[in-house]
Formats: sequence, structure tokens, C-alpha cells
Amino acid sequence: MTTVALSPARRAWLVVADQELRDLWLGGRGLALTFAYSLLLSIITYLTATNSVLNFLEQREAVNLTLQIGVAFGALLVLLTTADALSGERERGSLESLLLAPVHRADLVAGKGMAALSIWLVAFVVSIPYLWFLARGVGIVGVALAGGLVVGTLLSLFLAGLGLLISSLATSNRVSLSLSLFVLLAFFAPTQLPSSAQQGWAGDLFIRIDPFSAGLHYLGKILVDGHNAGQEIAWLLSPLIAAGSAVLAALGASRFLTLRGGGPS
Amino acid sequence: MRHCAVTVAALVFVACLAVSARAATVLLQSKPVTATIGQLFTFVTTVENQSSSPAAGLVAHLNVLSNDPGTYVDPEDWSSHRTQYLPTIGPNRDLRLTWTVQVVNSGSFSVYVAVLPRHGAGDVVTSAPLRVTVAQRRTLNSSGVLPLTLGIPAIIGLLGLGAHRRRS
Repeated sequence: MTTVALSPARRAWLVVADQELRDLWLGGRGLALTFAYSLLLSIITYLTATNSVLNFLEQREAVNLTLQIGVAFGALLVLLTTADALSGERERGSLESLLLAPVHRADLVAGKGMAALSIWLVAFVVSIPYLWFLARGVGIVGVALAGGLVVGTLLSLFLAGLGLLISSLATSNRVSLSLSLFVLLAFFAPTQLPSSAQQGWAGDLFIRIDPFSAGLHYLGKILVDGHNAGQEIAWLLSPLIAAGSAVLAALGASRFLTLRGGGPS
Repeated sequence: MRHCAVTVAALVFVACLAVSARAATVLLQSKPVTATIGQLFTFVTTVENQSSSPAAGLVAHLNVLSNDPGTYVDPEDWSSHRTQYLPTIGPNRDLRLTWTVQVVNSGSFSVYVAVLPRHGAGDVVTSAPLRVTVAQRRTLNSSGVLPLTLGIPAIIGLLGLGAHRRRS
């Protein structure tokens, strides 16, 4: 539960973020999610390094595989956190006291979003040793880390905005979580398209429009194909627009944040 | 008379198709390649139309085979763009074709390009084989992976336990 006591010198969203960060990390939920995330990366790294089939991959592809999984699951953790942020308070009966606090609702949403983004930053820090281990032999540690940070941050911002938007309007926590995961799967689906379906202008457009496909494709271009990061920067347009739109939508929807949910009536 | 003209035109068309591939030759423009697994390389072939009439409706196809028995090769793994439908090549003109290949097996291989007409009769003409020697390479040194993959979850787990004890 978040309780807000404003001091005049601090911005309201910072106070909310501070309280949410304590809840997330001292409450243990953040560490539990990070533990699961590190286990996943450990399994992927171990298999990549020792399994005869996966180690058959070119080393750049092994780095790309691990980084894409790290970015995708890091962003997923942000979505899980934000999808619970407001609908969870509503379900636990603590939203009323939050809404009565002298805080603008946009500050409330921004503070919760900032705290949720911390889980991506921690996930990224956790992924550094794995990426270093895999990428050290081919000299792409820096590119992998920089690319992963940029793409992961954009996708995390997008999912943070999306999760908060759904959570602020959902009537129950279950609806919020299931709808968020459904939307996430819909965005992930194009990444599984067979390569033949990605050919031609329609396939290319489809991949460029979907922020997940575009972001992960960008990582593949700079890591596997060895392209310059600036040369392929157009692939980041879709994640950038999606991140900005989702954050603005979440802040805009905060006006309709009510005790019962369900959006504007 | 009219039927006769149509028949002659059809015969000429079929004949053109039949000679189009035969009149074309495929020249390999690259030297033998030495690579490691996963490496991408490109090579160039030139399709020459040596006849005095245009060569239309040709298709070029890339093939890969292992020179050693026992090595399975799936050409789809080597290149996802193995077929090129060629535009009409003018009389005594040529067309450069660039092929990008990623080596996915170790050993000795031959890569060649075949050109044939898309419809009707005609011969298949092939390029000289491009010899590719691929060195076996273990892509990742796995030593040291166990401490890493066990250590990081262990550290985070201990932090979580510490936080839990502090709360309770």
C-alpha cells in the first residue's frame, strides 16, 4: 500500500516513486522477480555455452539470443509490476486513501511508473555479467550493452505506460493482468513470423510498425550483422513512438482513475 | 493462312525458350573461400547471353552440397534467398548476380548456381563450383560458466532472504 505525505520541497511524483520503490524492493517482490529473471538468464547462458546444439550457433548469435531474451523478459517484469500498480491498490482497498491524498493523479501514475521502471534497470544490471561472458570473445560487449539498454528502456517505457493505462481503467486486478499479458503476446507475435513472411514491403512494414519486432530486429542488425548502430537507427522509430504514446496515454488516463475503475462514465 | 502464322509464332516462341538457357552461360567470379562456421560471405556470378536474341524467362538457383559423404547439408540454412528470377538479358549482354551465403557446417563444400528457363523445354546450365572450406570452431569457451550461472541467482537469493528476515 502506498501512503503519501508531501513535503513542500519535493515533487509529488518523487514522493510516490520513493514509496513505491520501498514497497517493491524492501517488500521483496522486486527481488523475487529479479531472482526468477537471473535464473532464466543462467539457464540460457549455460545451455548456450555447453549444449552442443546451441553452442553451434555463431557466437554473435548466442549474444543476440541472450540479449533479446533479457530485454523481452526485463520489459515483461515492468508490465507485470505496472499492471498491478493501480488495480492492485483498488483490489486491496488502499486506492481510496491514495485518491484522497493531496497528489495530482498524473503524479500518482508517474511515480508508480518510475518505480516500475527500476525493475528493468536492475534486470539490465543483472544481465551484464552474462552478456560479458558470452560477448567477450567477439568484442561486442559494449555494443550489446548499449543496444540492450536503449532498446530495453524504450520497450520498458512502452510497457510501463501500457500497464498503467490498463491498470487505471480495469475493474479488477485479474482483468488488468490478463489483458496486459494478452496485449503483450499480440505485440510479441510478429517476432515469431517465419522469415518468408518477413520478406517484401508488407512484411517489412509489419516488422517496422510492431515496437517489439522492430526493437529486437535492431539488436540483431547491430550484433549479428555487425551494422553500425546509427546506420540502423530507423528501426528504433516504432519503439520510440510507442513508448512516448503509451506514457502520454497513461498520464492522460489518470484523469479517469476512479475507485471502481472502468474508465470515464 | 492465319492458323499457319499463329503456329509459326508459337513455334518461334517455344524455340526461343528452348534456346534461351542454352545460349546463356554462368560464370563464377569468385575465388575459393575459406571460412569459419557462422561467417557470411558473398560471391558473384555472371549470366551471359551469347545469342543474338534476348534471353527471357530465366531463373537462377543456388545449390550447396558437401564434398564429403556423411555431412548433411540443408541449403535453406545456408541462404534464405536461393532463387533469383532474372530480367530479360539483351543479346550479347550479361547480368551480374550477387549471392550471400552463411556457412553453417564445417567441412568441404561446393556451391554452384544453375540457370534454367522458367517454362517450356530448355537445358540447365551451371556455373563452375565455388569451393568452400569451413573450419570447425567451438564458438564459445564454456569454462567458467558454472560459477557465473550459479553465483548470480545465489547472490540475489541471499539478498532476498536478507530482506525477508529484516521484514520479519
